[in-house]
Amino acid sequence: MIKKQEDSNKNISTRLLDDEPVGMTVQVVRVMGDGAFRQRLLEMGFVRGAKVTVLKNAPLQDPVEYMIMGSHISLRHSEAAQVEVTDKDAEFCDMEDAFNGIVETEVAGVDPMADNVLRVVLVGNPNCGKTSLFNNVTGAKEKVGNYGGVTVDSKEGWFSIGGRKVQLVDLPGTYSLTEYSPEEMYVRTYIRDNHPDAILNIVDAGNLERNLYLTTQIMDMNIPMVVALNMWDELEKSGDKLDIEMMSRLLGARMVPLTAYNGHGVKDVLQATMAAIDESEQETMHHNVNYGPLIEDSLKELGEMCPELDRYTVLKIIENDQHAIELLNNKDDAETVKSRATELRQLIERDFNSDIVSIITDLKYGFVRGALAEALTPNPNRATGETKPGYSMDRLLTNRWLALPILLVLMWLMFELTFTLGAYPQDWIESGIGWIGEWIGKAMPDGILKDLVIDGIIGGVGGVLVFLPQILILFFCISLLEDSGYMARAAFIVDRIMHRVGLHGKSFIPYLIGFGCGVPAIMATRTLENRRDRLVTILTVPFMSCSARLPAYLLLVAAFFTANQGLILMSIYLIGILIAALTAILLSKTILKHDKTQFVMELPPYRKPTARNATLHMWSKGKQYLQKMATIILAASIIVWALGYFPRHEGQTPQEQIENSYMGQMGKAIEPLVEPLGFNWQMGVSVLTGAAAKEIVVSTMGVLYTGESDATEESTSLKEKLQSATKPNGEHVFDPIVAYSFMLFILLYFPCIAALAAIKREAGWKWVAFEVVYTTGVAWLVSFIFYQIARMV
Amino acid sequence: MTDSSIIQTIVVLGIVAVALVYVLRRVIKTTRGHGDCGCGCGKNCKCKTKHFD
Repeated sequence: MIKKQEDSNKNISTRLLDDEPVGMTVQVVRVMGDGAFRQRLLEMGFVRGAKVTVLKNAPLQDPVEYMIMGSHISLRHSEAAQVEVTDKDAEFCDMEDAFNGIVETEVAGVDPMADNVLRVVLVGNPNCGKTSLFNNVTGAKEKVGNYGGVTVDSKEGWFSIGGRKVQLVDLPGTYSLTEYSPEEMYVRTYIRDNHPDAILNIVDAGNLERNLYLTTQIMDMNIPMVVALNMWDELEKSGDKLDIEMMSRLLGARMVPLTAYNGHGVKDVLQATMAAIDESEQETMHHNVNYGPLIEDSLKELGEMCPELDRYTVLKIIENDQHAIELLNNKDDAETVKSRATELRQLIERDFNSDIVSIITDLKYGFVRGALAEALTPNPNRATGETKPGYSMDRLLTNRWLALPILLVLMWLMFELTFTLGAYPQDWIESGIGWIGEWIGKAMPDGILKDLVIDGIIGGVGGVLVFLPQILILFFCISLLEDSGYMARAAFIVDRIMHRVGLHGKSFIPYLIGFGCGVPAIMATRTLENRRDRLVTILTVPFMSCSARLPAYLLLVAAFFTANQGLILMSIYLIGILIAALTAILLSKTILKHDKTQFVMELPPYRKPTARNATLHMWSKGKQYLQKMATIILAASIIVWALGYFPRHEGQTPQEQIENSYMGQMGKAIEPLVEPLGFNWQMGVSVLTGAAAKEIVVSTMGVLYTGESDATEESTSLKEKLQSATKPNGEHVFDPIVAYSFMLFILLYFPCIAALAAIKREAGWKWVAFEVVYTTGVAWLVSFIFYQIARMV
Repeated sequence: MTDSSIIQTIVVLGIVAVALVYVLRRVIKTTRGHGDCGCGCGKNCKCKTKHFD
C-alpha cells in the first residue's frame, strides 16, 4: 500500500507513516484529510519537516507508538495512514524559512482591579504540572497524576503576595486553543469570558518545541503572560542549555524556571506574574508571532473592521473557525466581514499553495523552532531519535508478549493487597467497635435511645467503618499507578480491545478512575473528543465497581469464601468490565451508532511515584470516607434503624418485630422481585437504601441483622451474623451462591445519586432515566441467570 | 410509659427527624448539582489563602 506521489514543491517521493517499520525515522510531508482530527495532529507536531520515529506496535498490534518533537504519541494504523512522510534526510522544507520573528502590538493599559479581583489563570499542555503548581501555591490538595486529562474542570484557589490577594484558577490541560475537545473549548471560553489579569503559561521545559505552540496562541490574545518553565530540573539533567533571557525577549514574556513538585521557583513565578500585571496598567507593546506580510496585512485589515476583537480571534476568523465566526453575529456588517475573511483566506491559501490550518500551524511551529534555534543548545551527546530518559520501562511494560499479563497481574496484586493487607487493621477496628458497643451497652440504661445507639449507629456506621483500611490501600495502589505514568500505558495496551467494542482507548482512564468513584470518572470523560464516545463511556462507567461497593464485597467474600478471596474479588471487577464492554457494543451498534473514532494520545515519561503524593491521595480519600461515615451514612443508618424499629408491638420476638416494622413491610413488598435471585427481604431493602450511597448497603445490613439478634446473644461481627442468619424453615439465608449473586447485583445495579447527578450534568435527564432502568435490568438478569444456573449444577 | 422513656422517645424521634431532613437536603442538593458529594469531584471551596509575602 506504498503510496508514491510527487510533492508539490520539491521532487521528493512520499510514503505513508503507517507503512514505516519499527525503528525508522522519517520526515513529515503533510497530514491528509480534513477536520478536527487533522488539526489535532498538526498541533501535536505533525507539521512539515518534523521528524517522526516509529517506536513500537501495541501488544495487539494497534495502536503504534511514535516519537515526535521529544513526545511519545500513540496513533492507530488507520490514522498513521493519513500522514505522508519522506526520508529523514530529504531536503524539501527548511523550517527556518518560516521564522519571521515577531511583530509588536500596542495594547492599552487596563486596571487589573476593575472587577475587584486579581485573577490569574494557569494554562498549559496536559500533564505539564499545572495542578502541582496550583496545589503548591494555594495549599489545595487537588488530584494530580502522570497522565493528561486529570483536571477537567476549573479549580479556584487563593494566594497573597505583596499584600495583595490573588485568585488562581487551574484550567484543564490543552494542546491548543482550538475547539477539538470539550476541555479545549472550556479553556478558550473561560479566558474569553473571564478576562484574566494574567495568564500563567506552564510549559514542560524538557519539551519546549511542542509546549510553546500553545504559547504562540496565548501571545495572540494580548493578555499579560508569564511562562513558567516547569520540570526545570529535568532539563538541567538532560544536558540541554536554554538561554532564558533571549527566549523571554523573543516571546515578549517573562520566563521563570520552576520545579513545581518540590516548590523550587514558585515564589519567583508569582513575583513575575505580579510584575506583568502591574506593567499592564500602562500602555504596553505585546509581542506576536510574525506570520509574514500577506497574513499580517490580512490581520490588520480584518482587525480594523472588528476593533472589538483581539488578534487571536481575528486570526481564527481567517482560519474559518466557526466559534470565532459566531462572535461576529451581533455586528451590523457581519456578512461583509465574513465575506472579506473568506477572500483573504483564499488569497493566503493560493499564495502558500496549502490549506489555511496547515499554513498557520507551520508558521507557528516555524516561529517556535526559530526561537529555539537561537536560545536552546541541545546536549551534543544525544543522538537524533534517541528515546528520552523515563521511557526505558516500556521495554517491559508495553512488551508485545508481557504487557497484557503484567496488566492483569498488577490488577490482581492490587485486589490481593487490598484484601489480605487490609484484614489485619480491619480486625483491630472491628474489635474496637465491638468493645465500644459492649461498653455503651453496659453504661446506658435499657430503652429506645440505647437501641438507637447500639443497633442503629454502631451497627450501621461501624459495619462500614471497619473497611477503612481496605479503602486506603486501594487508593494508595491506584495513586501509585497514576503517578508512575502506567495509566496511559494501560490505555495504549487495551486500545485495540476498546476499539473492538466501540470505545476509545482513552475511555480506559475514566474506567480506572471509576474503580475509585464514578463521579470523577464521569467528569473525566470530558477528555474524549467525540460526544457519542463520551456518552457510551458515561453510561458504562458505573459498571466499573466503585470503592463504595467494596465494603459489601469484602464482607461477603470474607464471610462465605474461604479460599482464593483475592481472585473472587477480582472476578467481580472483571465481570463489571465484561458487562461494560457488552453494553458498549450494544450501544454503539444501536442507539449510539457512530463512525470509528480516532485515537491520539500522549504517553508521558515514567516518573517515580512520590510517597508524599500517594499518602496525600490516600489521606484525602480516607478523610472523604470518614466524612461520609459521619454524615450521609450515619443519617441513613438512623433512618433505616427507625424504619426497622417502628411500629412497636408488645410481646413479639425481635425477629417478628423487625418483620412487622415499616422496613419489614417494605421489604416484604419487594421480596417477590428479589426472591428469584436468592435474596431475602433484608437484602432487597439494602440495595434500595444503597441508592443514597453504596456503603449504605452494608450499613443497612448492619442495622437489620443487629436488630434481629437475640438480646442475650454475645456481641458478634456482622460477618458472623450473616453466616448464622437463617430462614424460618431453618435453612441458612446465605451460602456462597447467594453471596455471589448478591455481589453481582450490587456491582451492576443503578449507581448512587451523586453519580446519577453527574450523568445528568454531563448528558441530561433522559440518559439518567435510561441508566437507572438499564443497569437495574442488567443487574437483575445477570444475578437471576447466575443464581438459577448455579443452583442447578 | 415512664417519664424517662417519654423523654428518650422524643430525643430519638428528634434525631430521626434531623437525619431525615439531612438526607433529603443532601439528595436534593446533589441532584441539583450544588452539593459536595464528597467524591473529590466538587469545588475547591475550602481552599485557604496561602501567603507568599
